[in-house]
Amino acid sequence: MREETMTTPELSFGTSAGTSTTKLRTSSLKKVWKRIGPPSIAFILFIGAWELFCRLSGLKPYLLPKPSDIVLAASENASNLWVSVYTTITEAVLGFLLSIVLGVGFAILLASSKLIERSIYPYAIIMQTIPIVAIAPIIVIWFGAGMNAIIIIAFLIGFFPMLSNTLIGLNSTDHNMKNLFYLYNASPLQTMIRLRIPAALPYIVAGLKISCTLAVIGAIVGEYIAGIGGGNGGLGYAITVASSRLQTAYLFACGLSASLLGIAFFLLVNAFSKWMLSSWHESEMKSSEG
Amino acid sequence: MTTMTGAKEWVRMERLSKVYPNGTVAVKEVDLTIHEGEFLCFVGPSGCGKSTIFKMITGLSNPSSGTLQVMGASASVARKRSDTAFVFQDHTLLPWNSVIDNVTLPLALRGVPRKERQREAERVLEMVGLKDHMRSMPRELSGGMKMRASIARALVARPKLLLMDEPFGALDEITRQTLQIELLELWRQDPEMTVLFVTHNVFEAVFLSTRIAVMTPRPGKVSDLIDVPVPFPRDESFRTTPEFGQIVRSVSQALKH
Repeated sequence: MREETMTTPELSFGTSAGTSTTKLRTSSLKKVWKRIGPPSIAFILFIGAWELFCRLSGLKPYLLPKPSDIVLAASENASNLWVSVYTTITEAVLGFLLSIVLGVGFAILLASSKLIERSIYPYAIIMQTIPIVAIAPIIVIWFGAGMNAIIIIAFLIGFFPMLSNTLIGLNSTDHNMKNLFYLYNASPLQTMIRLRIPAALPYIVAGLKISCTLAVIGAIVGEYIAGIGGGNGGLGYAITVASSRLQTAYLFACGLSASLLGIAFFLLVNAFSKWMLSSWHESEMKSSEG
Repeated sequence: MTTMTGAKEWVRMERLSKVYPNGTVAVKEVDLTIHEGEFLCFVGPSGCGKSTIFKMITGLSNPSSGTLQVMGASASVARKRSDTAFVFQDHTLLPWNSVIDNVTLPLALRGVPRKERQREAERVLEMVGLKDHMRSMPRELSGGMKMRASIARALVARPKLLLMDEPFGALDEITRQTLQIELLELWRQDPEMTVLFVTHNVFEAVFLSTRIAVMTPRPGKVSDLIDVPVPFPRDESFRTTPEFGQIVRSVSQALKH
Protein backbone atom coordinates (compact mmCIF):
# COMPACT_ATOMS: atom_id res chain seq x y z
CA MET A 1 0.00 0.00 0.00
CA ARG A 2 1.19 3.49 -0.76
CA GLU A 3 0.37 4.83 2.72
CA GLU A 4 3.01 2.65 4.27
CA THR A 5 5.79 3.46 1.85
CA MET A 6 5.02 7.16 2.23
CA THR A 7 6.23 7.30 5.81
CA THR A 8 9.67 8.81 5.52
CA PRO A 9 12.40 6.29 4.71
CA GLU A 10 14.73 7.85 7.29
CA LEU A 11 12.46 6.56 10.00
CA SER A 12 12.94 2.93 9.15
CA PHE A 13 16.70 3.50 9.02
CA GLY A 14 16.62 5.21 12.41
CA THR A 15 15.35 2.10 14.15
CA SER A 16 18.56 0.23 13.40
CA ALA A 17 20.09 2.41 16.15
CA GLY A 18 23.51 3.74 17.20
CA THR A 19 26.04 1.10 16.22
CA SER A 20 25.25 1.29 12.54
CA THR A 21 25.27 5.10 12.37
CA THR A 22 28.89 5.41 11.29
CA LYS A 23 28.42 2.65 8.79
CA LEU A 24 25.41 4.51 7.51
CA ARG A 25 27.39 7.73 7.14
CA THR A 26 30.15 6.13 5.11
CA SER A 27 27.64 4.36 2.94
CA SER A 28 25.78 7.61 2.27
CA LEU A 29 29.12 9.28 1.40
CA LYS A 30 29.71 6.46 -1.01
CA LYS A 31 26.31 7.08 -2.52
CA VAL A 32 27.09 10.79 -3.01
CA TRP A 33 30.41 9.89 -4.59
CA LYS A 34 28.71 7.40 -6.91
CA ARG A 35 26.41 10.15 -8.07
CA ILE A 36 28.84 13.05 -8.55
CA GLY A 37 32.09 11.13 -9.02
CA PRO A 38 31.81 9.96 -12.64
CA PRO A 39 30.56 13.25 -14.07
CA SER A 40 33.27 15.26 -12.25
CA ILE A 41 35.98 12.95 -13.55
CA ALA A 42 34.56 13.23 -17.05
CA PHE A 43 34.54 17.02 -16.68
CA ILE A 44 38.17 17.18 -15.57
CA LEU A 45 39.24 14.84 -18.37
CA PHE A 46 37.37 16.91 -20.94
CA ILE A 47 38.90 20.21 -19.79
CA GLY A 48 42.36 18.64 -19.62
CA ALA A 49 42.03 17.23 -23.14
CA TRP A 50 40.85 20.60 -24.42
CA GLU A 51 43.79 22.42 -22.83
CA LEU A 52 46.24 19.83 -24.15
CA PHE A 53 44.77 19.90 -27.64
CA CYS A 54 45.06 23.71 -27.86
CA ARG A 55 48.63 23.73 -26.56
CA LEU A 56 49.80 20.93 -28.88
CA SER A 57 47.96 21.94 -32.04
CA GLY A 58 48.92 25.59 -31.80
CA LEU A 59 45.42 26.65 -32.80
CA LYS A 60 44.93 30.42 -32.87
CA PRO A 61 43.32 31.57 -29.60
CA TYR A 62 40.71 33.65 -31.44
CA LEU A 63 39.47 30.40 -33.03
CA LEU A 64 39.52 28.22 -29.92
CA PRO A 65 40.86 29.66 -26.67
CA LYS A 66 42.33 27.34 -24.04
CA PRO A 67 40.27 26.84 -20.88
CA SER A 68 42.99 28.68 -18.99
CA ASP A 69 42.59 31.64 -21.40
CA ILE A 70 38.88 31.74 -20.67
CA VAL A 71 39.43 31.77 -16.91
CA LEU A 72 42.07 34.46 -17.36
CA ALA A 73 39.76 36.59 -19.54
CA ALA A 74 36.96 36.22 -17.03
CA SER A 75 39.11 37.21 -14.06
CA GLU A 76 40.74 40.14 -15.89
CA ASN A 77 37.31 41.51 -16.84
CA ALA A 78 35.63 40.35 -13.65
CA SER A 79 34.01 43.68 -12.84
CA ASN A 80 32.65 44.15 -16.38
CA LEU A 81 31.45 40.58 -16.49
CA TRP A 82 29.74 40.96 -13.13
CA VAL A 83 27.93 44.12 -14.27
CA SER A 84 26.77 42.30 -17.42
CA VAL A 85 25.56 39.29 -15.47
CA TYR A 86 23.85 41.49 -12.93
CA THR A 87 22.08 43.49 -15.64
CA THR A 88 20.90 40.34 -17.39
CA ILE A 89 19.68 38.84 -14.12
CA THR A 90 17.67 41.96 -13.37
CA GLU A 91 16.07 41.97 -16.81
CA ALA A 92 15.36 38.24 -16.81
CA VAL A 93 13.87 38.26 -13.31
CA LEU A 94 11.66 41.28 -13.98
CA GLY A 95 10.49 39.83 -17.29
CA PHE A 96 9.87 36.47 -15.64
CA LEU A 97 7.87 38.01 -12.80
CA LEU A 98 5.79 39.96 -15.32
CA SER A 99 5.11 36.80 -17.29
CA ILE A 100 3.99 34.99 -14.12
CA VAL A 101 1.67 37.74 -12.97
CA LEU A 102 0.15 38.45 -16.36
CA GLY A 103 0.21 34.84 -17.58
CA VAL A 104 -1.56 33.47 -14.51
CA GLY A 105 -3.83 36.51 -14.32
CA PHE A 106 -4.97 36.22 -17.92
CA ALA A 107 -5.41 32.46 -17.58
CA ILE A 108 -7.73 32.99 -14.60
CA LEU A 109 -9.66 35.56 -16.58
CA LEU A 110 -9.99 33.24 -19.57
CA ALA A 111 -10.90 30.26 -17.39
CA SER A 112 -13.63 32.11 -15.56
CA SER A 113 -15.67 32.59 -18.70
CA LYS A 114 -16.02 30.16 -21.57
CA LEU A 115 -17.07 33.05 -23.80
CA ILE A 116 -13.93 35.08 -23.12
CA GLU A 117 -11.80 31.98 -23.54
CA ARG A 118 -13.37 31.05 -26.85
CA SER A 119 -13.00 34.56 -28.22
CA ILE A 120 -9.46 35.35 -27.08
CA TYR A 121 -7.53 32.09 -26.74
CA PRO A 122 -7.13 31.41 -30.49
CA TYR A 123 -5.37 34.76 -30.86
CA ALA A 124 -3.17 33.98 -27.90
CA ILE A 125 -2.06 30.82 -29.69
CA ILE A 126 -1.43 32.69 -32.92
CA MET A 127 0.62 35.31 -31.09
CA GLN A 128 2.64 32.55 -29.49
CA THR A 129 3.79 31.37 -32.92
CA ILE A 130 5.19 34.78 -33.87
CA PRO A 131 8.99 34.56 -33.53
CA ILE A 132 9.99 36.98 -30.80
CA VAL A 133 13.03 38.15 -32.77
CA ALA A 134 10.70 39.29 -35.53
CA ILE A 135 8.70 41.63 -33.32
CA ALA A 136 11.57 42.76 -31.11
CA PRO A 137 12.40 45.79 -33.33
CA ILE A 138 8.79 46.97 -32.99
CA ILE A 139 9.11 46.76 -29.23
CA VAL A 140 12.30 48.80 -29.42
CA ILE A 141 10.47 51.45 -31.46
CA TRP A 142 7.66 51.59 -28.92
CA PHE A 143 9.62 51.43 -25.70
CA GLY A 144 13.02 52.75 -26.77
CA ALA A 145 16.29 50.85 -26.67
CA GLY A 146 17.37 49.75 -23.23
CA MET A 147 16.05 48.09 -20.12
CA ASN A 148 12.32 48.55 -20.74
CA ALA A 149 12.32 46.95 -24.17
CA ILE A 150 14.54 44.09 -22.97
CA ILE A 151 12.28 43.35 -20.01
CA ILE A 152 9.28 43.31 -22.30
CA ILE A 153 10.98 40.89 -24.69
CA ALA A 154 11.92 38.62 -21.74
CA PHE A 155 8.32 38.90 -20.54
CA LEU A 156 6.76 38.11 -23.93
CA ILE A 157 8.83 35.00 -24.45
CA GLY A 158 7.81 33.58 -21.04
CA PHE A 159 4.24 34.80 -21.09
CA PHE A 160 2.61 32.22 -23.37
CA PRO A 161 3.96 29.08 -21.68
CA MET A 162 2.65 30.51 -18.40
CA LEU A 163 -0.71 31.38 -19.92
CA SER A 164 -1.34 28.09 -21.68
CA ASN A 165 -0.04 25.91 -18.85
CA THR A 166 -2.13 27.70 -16.26
CA LEU A 167 -5.19 27.59 -18.47
CA ILE A 168 -4.86 23.85 -19.05
CA GLY A 169 -4.44 23.38 -15.29
CA LEU A 170 -7.50 25.48 -14.45
CA ASN A 171 -9.59 23.53 -16.93
CA SER A 172 -8.53 20.06 -15.87
CA THR A 173 -10.03 20.04 -12.37
CA ASP A 174 -11.33 16.65 -11.28
CA HIS A 175 -14.98 16.21 -12.27
CA ASN A 176 -16.06 14.79 -8.92
CA MET A 177 -14.46 17.68 -7.05
CA LYS A 178 -16.26 20.17 -9.26
CA ASN A 179 -19.54 18.40 -8.53
CA LEU A 180 -18.76 18.55 -4.84
CA PHE A 181 -18.27 22.32 -4.95
CA TYR A 182 -21.40 22.70 -7.04
CA LEU A 183 -23.48 20.63 -4.64
CA TYR A 184 -22.25 22.64 -1.67
CA ASN A 185 -23.36 25.81 -3.46
CA ALA A 186 -19.89 27.26 -3.93
CA SER A 187 -19.75 30.52 -5.88
CA PRO A 188 -17.59 30.64 -9.03
CA LEU A 189 -15.08 32.76 -7.12
CA GLN A 190 -14.91 30.24 -4.25
CA THR A 191 -14.50 27.40 -6.71
CA MET A 192 -11.70 29.29 -8.43
CA ILE A 193 -9.78 30.12 -5.25
CA ARG A 194 -10.34 26.96 -3.27
CA LEU A 195 -10.39 24.37 -6.03
CA ARG A 196 -9.29 25.37 -9.50
CA ILE A 197 -6.17 27.41 -8.68
CA PRO A 198 -4.73 24.90 -6.18
CA ALA A 199 -5.52 22.06 -8.60
CA ALA A 200 -3.71 23.98 -11.35
CA LEU A 201 -0.55 24.49 -9.27
CA PRO A 202 1.34 21.51 -10.75
CA TYR A 203 0.63 22.89 -14.22
CA ILE A 204 1.61 26.41 -13.17
CA VAL A 205 4.87 25.04 -11.80
CA ALA A 206 5.56 23.26 -15.10
CA GLY A 207 5.00 26.64 -16.78
CA LEU A 208 7.40 28.33 -14.35
CA LYS A 209 10.13 25.86 -15.23
CA ILE A 210 9.72 26.54 -18.94
CA SER A 211 9.39 30.30 -18.60
CA CYS A 212 12.34 30.85 -16.29
CA THR A 213 14.88 29.53 -18.81
CA LEU A 214 13.07 31.31 -21.63
CA ALA A 215 13.24 34.59 -19.69
CA VAL A 216 17.06 34.37 -19.61
CA ILE A 217 17.11 33.66 -23.34
CA GLY A 218 14.66 36.51 -23.90
CA ALA A 219 16.81 38.93 -21.93
CA ILE A 220 19.95 38.05 -23.89
CA VAL A 221 18.16 38.20 -27.25
CA GLY A 222 16.69 41.51 -26.16
CA GLU A 223 20.17 42.80 -25.39
CA TYR A 224 21.39 41.78 -28.86
CA ILE A 225 18.69 43.94 -30.38
CA ALA A 226 18.00 46.67 -27.86
CA GLY A 227 21.09 46.62 -25.68
CA ILE A 228 22.64 49.94 -24.85
CA GLY A 229 26.35 50.40 -24.46
CA GLY A 230 28.23 52.21 -21.75
CA GLY A 231 28.90 50.57 -18.44
CA ASN A 232 25.52 48.89 -18.09
CA GLY A 233 25.21 46.52 -21.03
CA GLY A 234 24.01 43.03 -20.22
CA LEU A 235 25.53 39.72 -21.27
CA GLY A 236 23.93 39.86 -24.73
CA TYR A 237 25.52 43.23 -25.33
CA ALA A 238 28.89 42.08 -23.98
CA ILE A 239 28.72 39.07 -26.32
CA THR A 240 28.11 41.22 -29.41
CA VAL A 241 30.96 43.54 -28.46
CA ALA A 242 33.37 40.69 -27.68
CA SER A 243 32.55 38.91 -30.95
CA SER A 244 33.05 42.05 -33.03
CA ARG A 245 36.46 42.52 -31.42
CA LEU A 246 37.36 38.84 -31.78
CA GLN A 247 37.89 38.56 -28.01
CA THR A 248 37.00 34.89 -28.23
CA ALA A 249 38.14 33.97 -24.73
CA TYR A 250 35.92 36.63 -23.18
CA LEU A 251 33.15 35.56 -25.53
CA PHE A 252 33.42 32.06 -24.08
CA ALA A 253 33.39 33.49 -20.57
CA CYS A 254 30.21 35.42 -21.35
CA GLY A 255 28.56 32.38 -22.91
CA LEU A 256 29.48 30.24 -19.91
CA SER A 257 28.15 32.88 -17.52
CA ALA A 258 24.89 32.97 -19.47
CA SER A 259 24.54 29.18 -19.25
CA LEU A 260 25.35 29.16 -15.55
CA LEU A 261 22.83 31.93 -15.04
CA GLY A 262 20.16 29.90 -16.83
CA ILE A 263 20.97 26.78 -14.84
CA ALA A 264 20.98 28.65 -11.52
CA PHE A 265 17.68 30.29 -12.35
CA PHE A 266 16.14 26.94 -13.25
CA LEU A 267 17.41 25.24 -10.10
CA LEU A 268 16.02 28.07 -8.00
CA VAL A 269 12.58 27.77 -9.59
CA ASN A 270 12.78 24.01 -9.30
CA ALA A 271 13.54 24.22 -5.59
CA PHE A 272 10.69 26.67 -5.13
CA SER A 273 8.22 24.39 -6.89
CA LYS A 274 9.36 21.40 -4.82
CA TRP A 275 8.80 23.38 -1.67
CA MET A 276 5.39 24.54 -2.81
CA LEU A 277 4.03 21.16 -3.85
CA SER A 278 5.90 18.84 -1.52
CA SER A 279 3.08 18.43 0.98
CA TRP A 280 0.55 17.03 -1.44
CA HIS A 281 1.47 16.55 -5.05
CA GLU A 282 2.88 13.26 -6.24
CA SER A 283 5.31 14.77 -8.74
CA GLU A 284 7.32 16.42 -5.97
CA MET A 285 7.08 13.93 -3.13
CA LYS A 286 10.19 12.57 -1.46
CA SER A 287 9.56 8.92 -2.20
CA SER A 288 9.02 9.04 -5.90
CA GLU A 289 6.89 5.98 -6.56
CA GLY A 290 3.94 8.34 -7.24
CA MET B 1 -37.82 3.41 13.59
CA THR B 2 -39.13 1.20 10.83
CA THR B 3 -42.76 2.29 10.82
CA MET B 4 -42.94 5.51 8.90
CA THR B 5 -46.63 6.32 8.98
CA GLY B 6 -47.15 9.89 10.06
CA ALA B 7 -43.48 10.83 9.68
CA LYS B 8 -42.62 13.83 7.50
CA GLU B 9 -42.10 13.26 3.80
CA TRP B 10 -38.47 13.98 2.93
CA VAL B 11 -38.39 12.91 -0.71
CA ARG B 12 -41.37 12.29 -2.96
CA MET B 13 -41.15 10.89 -6.49
CA GLU B 14 -44.22 10.56 -8.67
CA ARG B 15 -43.93 8.94 -12.09
CA LEU B 16 -40.39 10.28 -12.12
CA SER B 17 -38.61 9.63 -15.42
CA LYS B 18 -35.33 10.51 -17.02
CA VAL B 19 -34.76 10.13 -20.72
CA TYR B 20 -31.34 11.12 -22.08
CA PRO B 21 -31.14 13.10 -25.32
CA ASN B 22 -29.97 9.98 -27.18
CA GLY B 23 -33.24 8.25 -26.28
CA THR B 24 -31.95 6.03 -23.47
CA VAL B 25 -34.58 5.66 -20.76
CA ALA B 26 -32.46 5.76 -17.60
CA VAL B 27 -35.33 5.94 -15.12
CA LYS B 28 -38.93 5.09 -15.89
CA GLU B 29 -41.93 6.19 -13.84
CA VAL B 30 -40.59 5.73 -10.35
CA ASP B 31 -43.06 6.24 -7.50
CA LEU B 32 -41.38 6.41 -4.13
CA THR B 33 -41.85 8.38 -0.95
CA ILE B 34 -39.06 8.56 1.59
CA HIS B 35 -39.79 9.69 5.14
CA GLU B 36 -37.83 11.43 7.84
CA GLY B 37 -35.42 9.18 9.68
CA GLU B 38 -35.36 6.37 7.11
CA PHE B 39 -32.26 4.57 5.94
CA LEU B 40 -33.15 3.63 2.41
CA CYS B 41 -30.89 1.70 0.08
CA PHE B 42 -31.21 1.69 -3.66
CA VAL B 43 -29.84 -1.63 -4.77
CA GLY B 44 -29.46 -2.88 -8.30
CA PRO B 45 -26.99 -3.79 -11.02
CA SER B 46 -25.06 -1.11 -12.88
CA GLY B 47 -27.18 0.67 -15.44
CA CYS B 48 -30.39 0.35 -13.43
CA GLY B 49 -30.68 4.11 -13.02
CA LYS B 50 -29.88 4.33 -9.32
CA SER B 51 -27.17 6.91 -9.88
CA THR B 52 -29.47 8.84 -12.18
CA ILE B 53 -32.11 9.02 -9.45
CA PHE B 54 -29.39 10.30 -7.17
CA LYS B 55 -28.29 12.94 -9.61
CA MET B 56 -31.88 14.15 -9.85
CA ILE B 57 -32.28 14.31 -6.06
CA THR B 58 -29.04 16.31 -5.78
CA GLY B 59 -30.07 18.61 -8.61
CA LEU B 60 -27.13 17.66 -10.81
CA SER B 61 -29.60 16.43 -13.40
CA ASN B 62 -33.17 17.48 -14.19
CA PRO B 63 -36.10 15.04 -14.46
CA SER B 64 -37.57 14.58 -17.94
CA SER B 65 -41.07 14.12 -16.57
CA GLY B 66 -42.92 13.43 -13.35
CA THR B 67 -42.53 15.18 -10.00
CA LEU B 68 -39.65 15.19 -7.61
CA GLN B 69 -39.91 16.96 -4.30
CA VAL B 70 -37.09 17.16 -1.83
CA MET B 71 -38.15 18.46 1.56
CA GLY B 72 -41.16 20.15 0.05
CA ALA B 73 -39.30 21.92 -2.76
CA SER B 74 -37.59 21.22 -6.04
CA ALA B 75 -34.21 19.52 -5.88
CA SER B 76 -32.17 22.61 -6.69
CA VAL B 77 -34.05 24.75 -4.16
CA ALA B 78 -33.59 22.08 -1.49
CA ARG B 79 -29.86 21.98 -2.20
CA LYS B 80 -29.59 25.74 -1.74
CA ARG B 81 -30.94 25.33 1.80
CA SER B 82 -27.87 23.27 2.66
CA ASP B 83 -29.80 20.55 4.47
CA THR B 84 -28.37 17.98 2.12
CA ALA B 85 -24.93 16.39 2.22
CA PHE B 86 -23.11 14.06 -0.14
CA VAL B 87 -20.64 11.22 -0.01
CA PHE B 88 -19.34 9.75 -3.25
CA GLN B 89 -17.52 6.53 -4.03
CA ASP B 90 -14.40 8.62 -4.49
CA HIS B 91 -13.47 10.35 -1.22
CA THR B 92 -13.02 13.69 -3.09
CA LEU B 93 -10.82 15.15 -0.35
CA LEU B 94 -8.76 18.13 -1.51
CA PRO B 95 -5.17 16.83 -1.47
CA TRP B 96 -3.69 20.25 -0.62
CA ASN B 97 -5.81 20.69 2.51
CA SER B 98 -5.40 19.00 5.87
CA VAL B 99 -8.16 16.72 7.15
CA ILE B 100 -9.70 19.46 9.26
CA ASP B 101 -9.70 21.97 6.41
CA ASN B 102 -11.36 19.37 4.20
CA VAL B 103 -14.00 18.64 6.80
CA THR B 104 -14.84 22.30 7.36
CA LEU B 105 -15.16 22.99 3.62
CA PRO B 106 -19.00 22.99 3.47
CA LEU B 107 -19.08 25.45 6.37
CA ALA B 108 -16.32 27.62 4.94
CA LEU B 109 -18.17 27.87 1.64
CA ARG B 110 -21.17 29.19 3.57
CA GLY B 111 -19.11 31.76 5.42
CA VAL B 112 -19.43 30.21 8.88
CA PRO B 113 -16.92 31.89 11.27
CA ARG B 114 -13.64 30.07 11.87
CA LYS B 115 -14.23 29.32 15.56
CA GLU B 116 -17.55 27.65 14.91
CA ARG B 117 -16.08 25.72 11.98
CA GLN B 118 -13.34 24.45 14.22
CA ARG B 119 -15.80 23.37 16.89
CA GLU B 120 -18.08 21.55 14.45
CA ALA B 121 -15.14 19.86 12.75
CA GLU B 122 -13.82 18.56 16.04
CA ARG B 123 -17.29 17.25 16.88
CA VAL B 124 -17.62 15.21 13.67
CA LEU B 125 -13.99 14.10 13.63
CA GLU B 126 -14.53 12.77 17.14
CA MET B 127 -17.61 10.92 15.87
CA VAL B 128 -15.73 9.20 13.05
CA GLY B 129 -12.63 8.59 15.19
CA LEU B 130 -10.25 10.84 13.29
CA LYS B 131 -9.65 13.51 15.90
CA ASP B 132 -6.01 12.52 16.26
CA HIS B 133 -5.51 12.89 12.53
CA MET B 134 -7.09 16.25 11.94
CA ARG B 135 -3.78 17.89 10.99
CA SER B 136 -2.82 15.06 8.64
CA MET B 137 -2.87 15.40 4.90
CA PRO B 138 -5.26 13.10 3.01
CA ARG B 139 -2.41 11.14 1.40
CA GLU B 140 -1.24 10.08 4.84
CA LEU B 141 -4.54 8.31 5.52
CA SER B 142 -5.59 4.79 4.58
CA GLY B 143 -8.55 4.21 2.28
CA GLY B 144 -10.92 3.64 5.18
CA MET B 145 -9.73 6.76 7.00
CA LYS B 146 -10.18 8.84 3.86
CA MET B 147 -13.75 7.64 3.63
CA ARG B 148 -14.29 8.47 7.32
CA ALA B 149 -12.99 11.97 6.65
CA SER B 150 -15.32 12.23 3.69
CA ILE B 151 -18.27 11.17 5.89
CA ALA B 152 -17.19 13.67 8.55
CA ARG B 153 -17.25 16.40 5.91
CA ALA B 154 -20.79 15.40 4.99
CA LEU B 155 -21.96 15.42 8.62
CA VAL B 156 -20.30 18.69 9.61
CA ALA B 157 -23.27 20.82 8.58
CA ARG B 158 -25.77 18.58 10.42
CA PRO B 159 -27.63 17.53 7.26
CA LYS B 160 -31.20 16.30 7.29
CA LEU B 161 -30.65 14.31 4.14
CA LEU B 162 -27.46 12.36 3.55
CA LEU B 163 -26.93 11.05 0.03
CA MET B 164 -24.33 8.33 -0.33
CA ASP B 165 -23.40 7.01 -3.75
CA GLU B 166 -21.60 3.67 -3.31
CA PRO B 167 -19.40 5.18 -0.61
CA PHE B 168 -17.77 1.89 0.41
CA GLY B 169 -17.46 0.50 -3.11
CA ALA B 170 -13.70 0.99 -3.31
CA LEU B 171 -12.89 -0.39 0.14
CA ASP B 172 -11.85 -3.88 1.17
CA GLU B 173 -14.48 -6.11 2.75
CA ILE B 174 -13.17 -5.82 6.32
CA THR B 175 -12.99 -2.03 6.28
CA ARG B 176 -16.34 -1.94 4.56
CA GLN B 177 -18.04 -3.92 7.34
CA THR B 178 -16.49 -1.77 10.06
CA LEU B 179 -17.62 1.39 8.34
CA GLN B 180 -21.14 0.01 7.88
CA ILE B 181 -21.49 -0.39 11.64
CA GLU B 182 -20.01 3.05 12.26
CA LEU B 183 -22.35 4.60 9.74
CA LEU B 184 -25.39 3.06 11.43
CA GLU B 185 -24.20 4.50 14.76
CA LEU B 186 -23.85 7.96 13.22
CA TRP B 187 -27.31 7.70 11.69
CA ARG B 188 -28.88 6.61 14.98
CA GLN B 189 -27.38 9.56 16.81
CA ASP B 190 -29.56 11.93 14.81
CA PRO B 191 -33.19 10.71 14.61
CA GLU B 192 -34.02 13.40 12.06
CA MET B 193 -31.34 12.40 9.58
CA THR B 194 -32.44 10.44 6.55
CA VAL B 195 -29.89 8.43 4.61
CA LEU B 196 -30.24 7.47 0.96
CA PHE B 197 -27.61 4.94 0.07
CA VAL B 198 -26.79 3.56 -3.35
CA THR B 199 -25.11 0.18 -3.57
CA HIS B 200 -24.93 -2.90 -5.76
CA ASN B 201 -24.12 -5.07 -2.77
CA VAL B 202 -27.23 -6.90 -1.49
CA PHE B 203 -25.62 -7.80 1.85
CA GLU B 204 -24.66 -4.22 2.48
CA ALA B 205 -28.18 -3.04 1.64
CA VAL B 206 -29.85 -5.54 3.98
CA PHE B 207 -27.44 -4.84 6.81
CA LEU B 208 -27.90 -1.07 6.68
CA SER B 209 -31.42 -0.28 5.61
CA THR B 210 -34.78 0.16 7.12
CA ARG B 211 -36.13 -0.24 3.60
CA ILE B 212 -34.68 -1.36 0.29
CA ALA B 213 -35.68 -0.09 -3.13
CA VAL B 214 -34.79 -2.85 -5.57
CA MET B 215 -34.05 -1.49 -9.02
CA THR B 216 -33.97 -3.33 -12.32
CA PRO B 217 -32.43 -2.07 -15.54
CA ARG B 218 -33.67 -1.34 -19.07
CA PRO B 219 -35.59 0.75 -18.38
CA GLY B 220 -34.45 1.61 -14.86
CA LYS B 221 -37.31 1.31 -12.41
CA VAL B 222 -38.03 0.42 -8.81
CA SER B 223 -39.37 -3.11 -9.10
CA ASP B 224 -39.79 -3.86 -5.39
CA LEU B 225 -39.78 -2.15 -2.04
CA ILE B 226 -38.66 -4.45 0.73
CA ASP B 227 -38.87 -3.56 4.42
CA VAL B 228 -36.11 -4.68 6.73
CA PRO B 229 -38.03 -4.88 10.00
CA VAL B 230 -35.01 -5.63 12.14
CA PRO B 231 -34.52 -3.36 15.15
CA PHE B 232 -31.38 -1.32 15.78
CA PRO B 233 -28.69 -1.41 17.02
CA ARG B 234 -27.52 -4.02 14.57
CA ASP B 235 -24.08 -5.53 15.00
CA GLU B 236 -21.94 -8.20 13.37
CA SER B 237 -24.16 -10.99 14.72
CA PHE B 238 -27.03 -9.72 12.55
CA ARG B 239 -25.13 -10.83 9.46
CA THR B 240 -25.41 -14.48 10.51
CA THR B 241 -29.07 -14.59 11.61
CA PRO B 242 -31.61 -16.59 9.58
CA GLU B 243 -33.63 -13.39 9.23
CA PHE B 244 -30.71 -11.70 7.45
CA GLY B 245 -30.36 -14.62 5.05
CA GLN B 246 -34.05 -14.60 4.35
CA ILE B 247 -34.15 -10.89 3.46
CA VAL B 248 -31.03 -11.26 1.33
CA ARG B 249 -32.80 -14.07 -0.54
CA SER B 250 -35.92 -12.06 -1.16
CA VAL B 251 -33.90 -9.04 -2.38
CA SER B 252 -31.85 -11.28 -4.68
CA GLN B 253 -35.07 -12.82 -5.94
CA ALA B 254 -36.49 -9.38 -6.66
CA LEU B 255 -33.31 -8.42 -8.55
CA LYS B 256 -33.79 -11.35 -10.94
CA HIS B 257 -37.11 -10.09 -12.30
